[in-house]
Amino acid sequence: MSNTSEEDLYLQSYAFTTAAAIIGSVDRKVIVTLWDGRTLVGVLRTFDQFANLVIHDGVERIYLLDKKQYAESSKPQTYLIRGENVVMMGELDIDKEDEPLEGLERIEFKDAQKIWKSRCQEAIDKNTEESTIFHDNGIFGAACTLY
Amino acid sequence: MLPLYLLNSIKGEPIMVELKRGDTMNGVLTNCDSWMNITLKDVVVSDAHGENFYKVKDIYIKGIHIKYITMSNELIDKFREEQNREKEHYHHHLNNNYNNNNNGGFQRRGGGYR
Repeated sequence: MSNTSEEDLYLQSYAFTTAAAIIGSVDRKVIVTLWDGRTLVGVLRTFDQFANLVIHDGVERIYLLDKKQYAESSKPQTYLIRGENVVMMGELDIDKEDEPLEGLERIEFKDAQKIWKSRCQEAIDKNTEESTIFHDNGIFGAACTLY
Repeated sequence: MLPLYLLNSIKGEPIMVELKRGDTMNGVLTNCDSWMNITLKDVVVSDAHGENFYKVKDIYIKGIHIKYITMSNELIDKFREEQNREKEHYHHHLNNNYNNNNNGGFQRRGGGYR
């Protein structure tokens, strides 16, 4: 089977690399988290040694867990994601993947986006404020997390 | 098969590029290289907040600044079809070559001159 020989080819070249672990997820539904905090869900089609990913039928999903809401972008697209922007990627079990969504209300993507963006901006402002205080007191390199 | 190979094959298609900064560029892919540097034409550029829109005729984006590239879903199917066709064509070509070589041999033996 051509699929098996592709795998063997990859495993021979990338035996001890992270990329070798990705091959197991090809043609399966995956969830990808990006550095800017976005979540993408789709079918992984191909990848390379930098973990650049090609996601087919990809949608962006926004979770607003404190409001018990979620949103998905309307039109599925193919994403070619540059590897360095990926925080994590995981395989989804298609039988179980809808379970976490059951308790959540689905809202319009545009509304969710607005809420998400305002939260990001709040976090940035808060971080700037805190950093200024730290800097004034001689502490540099303070970090802040989004959540 | 590889992501950059896919990028190469969709030259001429409209794509959307999002940079790490958050700017988005919608345009037609004209060229790309192995570092993911790309050139687009007839581009609409907008900033991270989506407030200002600029129309630009040609743009060069250095690959290192790209977050991701978005394209139509049908392109992958088209790409896979082409790949399969190329594979078949390649095998067919190999078989043809074999036959031609045999015929060539015959002709040489048959005649005296060309």
